[in-house]
This record gives sequence, C-alpha cells and structure tokens, in this order.
Amino acid sequence: MAAGSYSPARPSGEAATRWVRLRVAMMGGLLFFGLALALGRAVQLQVIQSAQLGLMATDQSSREMDVPARRGEILDRRGVSLASSVEVDSLWVDPSQLGDPGRAAVDLARVLHLDAVELAQRLSRARRFAWVKRQVTPPELAAARALGVPGLGVTKEPKRFYPQKELAAQVLGVVGKDGLGLEGLELAFEEELTGTGSKVEGIRDARGRNVLLDGAPATRAREGANVTLTLDRTLQYTAEKVLDQAVAESEAQNGMVVALDPRTGELLAVAHAPRFNPNSPTAVPAPILRDRAALDVFEPGSTFKAFVAAGALESGAVRADEAFFCENGAWEVGKHVIHDTHPHGWLALPKILQVSSNICMGKVAQKLGRDGMVRTLRQFGFGDRSGLALPGEGRGSVPYPRAEVTLATQSFGQGVSATAVQVAAAFGALANGGVLMRPYLVARVTDPDGVVLLENQPTEVRRVVSEKVARAVVSMLEGVVEKEGTGTRAHMDDYRVAGKTGTAQKPDPLAGGYSERRIASFVGMVPAESPRLVVLVVIDEPKTDVFGGLVAAPAFKEIAAAALPALGVPPSRGVHLVARAPEPRKTLPIPPPVQVKGGATPGETLTERLQPGAVAVPDVQGRVGREAVARLLSLALEPRLLGSGRVVAQSPAPGARVAKGARVTLEMSTAAGD
Amino acid sequence: MSWRKRPQPSHALPDGRTETVRLSVDPILLSAVLGLLSLGLVMVYSASAVTALEKTGNGFYFLQRQLVAAAVGLLAMATALKLGYRRLARLAYPLLVVTVLLLVLVLVPGVGTLVGGARRWIRFPGVSIQPAEIAKFTWVVYLAYSLAKKREKVASFSIGFLPHLLLGGMLVVLCMAQPDFGSAVELLVLLFVLLFAAGTKLSYLVGSVLLALPLAYHAVAHSPYRLKRITAFLDPWAHRHDVGYQVAQSLISVGSGGFWGLGLGESRQKLFFLPEAHTDFIFSIVGEELGLFGAAATVLLYAIIVWRGTRAALRAGETFGTYLGLGLTALLGVQAVVNMSVAMGMLPTKGLTLPFVSYGGCSLVVSMTAAGALLSLSASTAPMRAAVTRRRAPTEALA
Repeated sequence: MAAGSYSPARPSGEAATRWVRLRVAMMGGLLFFGLALALGRAVQLQVIQSAQLGLMATDQSSREMDVPARRGEILDRRGVSLASSVEVDSLWVDPSQLGDPGRAAVDLARVLHLDAVELAQRLSRARRFAWVKRQVTPPELAAARALGVPGLGVTKEPKRFYPQKELAAQVLGVVGKDGLGLEGLELAFEEELTGTGSKVEGIRDARGRNVLLDGAPATRAREGANVTLTLDRTLQYTAEKVLDQAVAESEAQNGMVVALDPRTGELLAVAHAPRFNPNSPTAVPAPILRDRAALDVFEPGSTFKAFVAAGALESGAVRADEAFFCENGAWEVGKHVIHDTHPHGWLALPKILQVSSNICMGKVAQKLGRDGMVRTLRQFGFGDRSGLALPGEGRGSVPYPRAEVTLATQSFGQGVSATAVQVAAAFGALANGGVLMRPYLVARVTDPDGVVLLENQPTEVRRVVSEKVARAVVSMLEGVVEKEGTGTRAHMDDYRVAGKTGTAQKPDPLAGGYSERRIASFVGMVPAESPRLVVLVVIDEPKTDVFGGLVAAPAFKEIAAAALPALGVPPSRGVHLVARAPEPRKTLPIPPPVQVKGGATPGETLTERLQPGAVAVPDVQGRVGREAVARLLSLALEPRLLGSGRVVAQSPAPGARVAKGARVTLEMSTAAGD
Repeated sequence: MSWRKRPQPSHALPDGRTETVRLSVDPILLSAVLGLLSLGLVMVYSASAVTALEKTGNGFYFLQRQLVAAAVGLLAMATALKLGYRRLARLAYPLLVVTVLLLVLVLVPGVGTLVGGARRWIRFPGVSIQPAEIAKFTWVVYLAYSLAKKREKVASFSIGFLPHLLLGGMLVVLCMAQPDFGSAVELLVLLFVLLFAAGTKLSYLVGSVLLALPLAYHAVAHSPYRLKRITAFLDPWAHRHDVGYQVAQSLISVGSGGFWGLGLGESRQKLFFLPEAHTDFIFSIVGEELGLFGAAATVLLYAIIVWRGTRAALRAGETFGTYLGLGLTALLGVQAVVNMSVAMGMLPTKGLTLPFVSYGGCSLVVSMTAAGALLSLSASTAPMRAAVTRRRAPTEALA
C-alpha cells in the first residue's frame, strides 16, 4: 500500500496512518473549497455586480466640481471698474471629525466673531459639512487655523468687490454670498455677468475633501461678460457728494440725482442718498438698497409745467404771449381751491413758468384739454417704462383727468406719477430740440474675448414737440433761474441754465389726499443754448425749506458747475465774449507754422504742420480766464489755471506745437487789472 | 519516539550530502510565499500611503514598518527552515507555556495596550507583539506534538479529546477576554481540524459543536458589537451608513475593480472610504486596484500554499510532521479564506489579517515562521521520499 510505505517502522499504525492521510487530504480539500468559494464570490462581485458597485464607488467618490466663472466686471463709461470679483477664503468643518463640537463652536465663534450658540447648532445639525464662516478675512483665517480644530477646511469663494465703495451702489446692486445678483444691475445682468462655469471631473475623499484628478479643468471656464455703463465715475461722485450734502442740510429723508446727456439719452449719473457700502451690505435696510431713481415713482410736482407748456404750445391751444389771469393766488375749481405761493394777476406763459403759478398753469391745461393733457404727457414718455432693462422698473401713471380739478393738478405734476429717470428723460426731450431719446444706463456688454454681446446706441423714441416749441420753452425756462424766477439759486455765471423747480405735496396713503410732507426738486439743462447736460435733483421730505428752488436748485448748480468743465463744455458767456469781440488773427484754428530756428527747410516745416494730432499753442496772454479757457478748449487743449484774473504767463509758450489734449498751464493774476 | 533518535534523513543518503535540506526546499511553496509577501508590500504601500501621510506626515510610514517586519519574517522563515521542524516538537510545551503567559499578561492593564476597546498588543519600545497571533502557531505545534504522541489514544474521549478541548477552551477564553473573537474562533477551527485529522470520533466533534452553539449565541447576542457585525453581515446595504458601512465599502471596493482593476495605486476607496484598508481589508484594495485578475492571482497563491502544504503533510515521514503540516497549512489557509470571505461579505467581520499581505508585523512574522516550518517539512520529506522511492520503486509504481 502506498499509504503505508511512509512509516515502514510502525506497522501497527499503518491503518491509522492511512485514515489520517485521508482526513488530512479532506481538510486540504476543504481549504481548497473555501478558496474556490472566495474565487466564485470575487467573480460574482467583479464581473456580474461590477458595474453596479462601480457606480456606487463613483457616486460617493466622484465629484463634478463646479469651477465658477469669474463674474464679469461692471465698468463706468471710461472703463473704470465699479464692481469686480476677488477670491476669498471660506471656512467649513466636517462636524463628524470634531471631538467636542460644543467646545469647537465656542473657540471658533470667539476668533471669528460669531454667535457661539448659533454656530454650535449649525455644527450639530450637519453630518459631514457645515459652513463655519464664509468670506473670512486673512487674520480670521489664521486665527481659526491656529485653534487646530480637526476637520476644518478652507474653500476659495469668489466675492464681489466694489472698489469705488459707495459709488453708484444702488445702481450696481448687490450680490449674495452665493454669487447671485440680488439687486440692481447685478440682478438685471445676472446671466451675462455670471458667464459659464466649467465642470471638473474630480474625486473626493470620504472626508469631503477634493482631490483633483487631472489638475486642470477639462473645459475652460467662460468668464462672465463685462458690463460697461454710461455712468461717468467723476460726475457720479460729484452728484453723490452734492446730494448727500443737500439731503443733510435740508434734513431730508432721502434724495436722488439723475444726470443725462440729452443728445443721446446716456445716463451720466444716478445718485441716491443715503448711500451704503456694497462691500458690506448686510446691515443695510432694504429700501436703501433700491435703485429708486429707476424703480420708484413719485408725484413730480411743478417740473411738469414745462411739459404741459410745451404740449400746449405744440397743439396750438396756447400762444406764447397769451395772458392768463392767475386769480390773485386762489382759484376755486369745483369743490377745491388751488393756491399759488404768491398771488399773481395776468401772466403769459414765460412768466407763468418763471413764477410757477399753479392757477395759470391749470388754465393752460384747461385750454389744452383732457385728451391733449394725456397725449402730451404720454408723448413725453410718462406712463411707459423708459426701457432701462432693470427688473421692476417703474412705469408711473397718467390717469385720464375726469374731474376738472384733476386736469388742473396734473398740469403742475400732482395726480400723476413718474420715476426720476422719466422726468429727466422728458426734460432731455426739451433740451434735445423736442426729440425724446431713450434713456440708457448700459453702453455695452462685452464678453472676455471682446465680442460685444449687447450694445446700446442713442435711440430716438419720438419727436414730442417741434424744435421751435422746444426752443421756445427752453428760453422760457431760462427765466426760471433769472431774477424773479423760482430757481434763481440754479443760476450760473458761466453757463446759461434753463430749468424748472418743483415742490410737490406727497400723497398721504393713510388719510387719502395729500400730506404736509413735500418733495422738492429741480430739473435743469446746461448750457441752455446747446444743452449737453440735464440734471434732476429730487429731495424727499426736506425739513428746513420745502421749496425745490431753495433745496434742490443749489445742488443742481453745484453738480453742473463740476460736470461741465469735465465734459469739456465751454462756458456760454465765454463763447459770447469771443463771438462779440472777434480778433480774426487770433481766432484762426491753426496759426501759421512758426519757423523753427536752425535752418529748417520748408519741407520739414510742412511735415511738422501736418503732424497728426498736433496743434500750435495759441497766445492767450492778457486775456481773462474764461476767454483763455474757451480758446484752449476750442483747440482741444487742456487748460490748467493757477490763480485768477488775467493770464500773465503761459506754458508752453505761444506757437509751440503740442499734441492734442496736452495741458497748457496758465498763470493768472488780478494785478494786471481789468 | 524513533524520530527523536533517528539521524537526519539526509545523512542516511548514500552520497552523504549534508546540504540536502537546503537544496530540496520546495520552490513552488517558496515562490507562493514570496509572491504573497511582495504583493503585500506593494499593496500595503498603495493602501496606506494616504492614511500614513494624513496621520504621520510620512506616506511611507506603514511601508517602512512592514519592510522591517518582512526582513524579520524572512529571517524567522530561514531560521525555521535551517533548524528544521523537528526542533518544534521539543519546544511544544515551552512555547505553549510562554504563549499562555503572554495571553495572560496582555490582559493586565499597563502591560497590554488598550486599542479600540481591546487589549491585544504588548508594546515594547520599537516592537509590539500580539500574543494571539503567536498563540495560533504554538497551538498548532502543541496539538501536532500532543496528538502525534498520543497516537491511537486520540480516539478516546478522556485522553484524546477532553484535554485538548479544555486547553483550547482556556486559550479561547483568554482570547475572548481581550476580546479577540476572530483569533478565538481560529484557535477552535485549528483544534477541530487537527482532532478530525488525528481521528477523534466525529460524534465528539459534532456533539461539542452542538453544545457550543448556545454559548456562541450568548456571546453574540450579549455583545452589541458582535451583534452589529452579524446584522451588518446579513444585509450590509440596509446598514451601509452605520454598522454595515465597512462591509458595504469593501463590497464597493472589490466590485468597482471589475476584471482588470482600476490600476495599481488608483483605488478611490482607500481615500478614507474603506476603514482598515491596509490591514484587515487589504484584499478589497487588491480587488479594486488589480481587479478579478489580482484577486484570482491572490487566491491562486493561497491555493498553492494549501496544495504544497497539504502535500508536505501527506508526505511527512511521521505523524508529528503530518499534523504540523496540516495545522500550519490550515493556519494560513483558514485565515486567508476567512479574511477574503469577510472582505467580500461572505462572513461577518472577524478581525483576521490576510497572511503575508496585510499590514501587521506580528502576524507577518508568525506567518513567515509557519511558512519556514512548512518548507522545512517539505524539504525533509523530499530526500527521504527519494530514498524510499528508490527502494520501493516497484510498489510505488504499482500504486
């Protein structure tokens, strides 16, 4: 027997050994069986169930990481950034790794200035992920890291940053912590600004941390588009500063300024008071966040008289020299009595506007008629959205004036409502020779590759009144800022101003009718002979003085005074002076080329003269400041004045050739004497 | 017993070679062992690098320690091979006494280190030993010695069965006191395998198993963590977020490997999804990274060990060698089967390592020592068999 052959020395054990061998072999077989079972199970798992289990692995470990596109910038008309995006750190924690969540919450709350109880609740609610604090400052981050809390993680998040701080904050709007626009342009252009994020195939570990597989995003993120506004940063700043001061001085609730270019409809400044810093908008009450100038309507008051006058002239219902009886200050219409601030007798249209007589304007409205009134106001754009592409833009209302008294009150801007932008745009129509331009705030939207996605061009809405009527009304409105007018405080020495004051009663929503509270406003255009700028100033509920001529007109003047030189508008009166005292030799656009010393050939001189963009500096010595400035501006040179009075010295010297836009410094002195 | 006085088989050869032992080392068995050892080193690094980096800042931490253990293990294997398995018979009692001593010592607070609610390690500076791992080896040695010595008396209840059962029961109790359920079960399995092989009446074995069932039930039902493991085992997907988490993650690991695997180092599950990825659940990472290909290769290597081990046991010149060969083969094979079964959700979680592959110095050194003893057994049988075959060639041929 083969079995016995191994132990020949022990024959007695032969049989037993044989059984032992069998049983050992059985045990070995059992182990093989176990291994075979394991192999079978491996086949089952790795072949039959592989797809399903692999999917589960992918589910828990793959993470399509969203790499958000950089939010586009919002720029002013010159490309100055008003809103941009920066990456900041946000802190989160895996609560399952916290040994003592309560203690961690207390520690973290201390260094991050959070509410410990609230944080502890948040940490206890979440299983694997909870924000601790989003958008932390670097010192906060360092302090939190120094605590050595287990499971603490940091993620980069984009944060909206407004480099100009309060500037145009209401217009720009705000962005929430999730990077979505919540108000203003940030909301209106959400889609364009956001761009297209890219997805990166990545894996995460069981603690929720990202592990990038390939490093670089598979598809390049399409960055958000840039939105370029028509706003002028400088003018916006001036408007806000002046408005703030006006609101503060009159102890008003709030205020707005809308400035636009009447030739194009571009909004140059849209200011609100009070201001807020959009970099920390959380503490700001919601009403202050609103772009009220575009969204909210108000009863504009007497500024409407200008439109009604224009409509009445246009329809031929009223002649410019037609006199109306102003009832000596009190006029009974039906059951109501309309008052004027000062009693007046017989007045024609220019005077009616100048002194802002409600009674006479009511009589003009009677002549214009109900249909004429509604048609006129709608023609000026009231009752229609002006089309700024802002969600929730105000429409205003022009109700049909059934009652006699409504027709009268509508003529002085009560019983109708409009947004500030509408009023400014309608006034722009008068300034623009009777053509209403569509106001716009966004010049263009450009994607990062430079492709223009949207471009707004100056758009004529309609001709509202003839050029003749527009000019006539403008010249009447010039009287408003002259002596005896209601808006003398808007009078400017250098520029001709045409404007209209408004002092509206605010409707009382509770009692019905009107309250004692007022909205003071002034809308004006400069220079009146060829308006380049329309500015509307609205002061809501001033306490010290309530009249638009007192509260709003000075603000208008201050804004215009700062804006016009910046816009390169030569002073009206300066132009008159030059026109009145022409000196043919000096008004030549380009003086004859000056022979350069050193034997320059005529050819060289010629080249010099034809040099593109080069101008010869004119001799302005001995001239008064205004004339010198006008002269330089007409040659596209930038004057810089030192002192006041007459020019005693200039640099560069007369005749020197400089590039267009070069600066010419004028030393002024009064000593030379007028 | 005659084998104590008998000269080395190699010396009996006519040519008088003394190097026979070394020269006749079973190359297949040795290759399988070294193959598993290499696979283990690679997989320990792959599975542990992320954890190591996270815990110690050194991605090679576990690999370095395992390399040291592998070196010690190779030395242990060579020593066991050089000294010959027969020396173990003389050491059976001393080893058993030392083992029992260690198993008692590890329970003493301050001597045994408490890790995860269990005292399983005795830490020395630089080295920590796991008495239960050592016990598996010495238990096999003791049983092989004792059963071989008692020979046909093994069949008797009082001499062959009861003493071993009592001694085994004591070791099991000591293991359970740590607690280490897996090792306890393995000690019992080894006892039953060797008792069965030695010829203990089946009725004793079956009867004792039946008697032990209520005890086992009690042990499971009254231990929340064991009950959880059973629950998790029965339906891991229903409990995949709590008690079944590890099993479910292990199944996901193995399954997501597919046929060819995700590629070495590409495991996603080792990113903290699968706990114990480099120790008890290293097979899951093998399955994930190397696929069915790698898993089958691993199973194959163990099959080779079982094959060559059983072969050596069958060819051993005397009963002690046969029992020792079977015991050591079972020690390695059972542990491998159980570990892989646990990783693939076929058995409840036990806490047994995958021999030669899992991270763990003590387990590796013990496995290597067992492999050395098996190699010595196969080596010492080879020349003798050759001699016998020469003498008995006709008989052999007839058989």
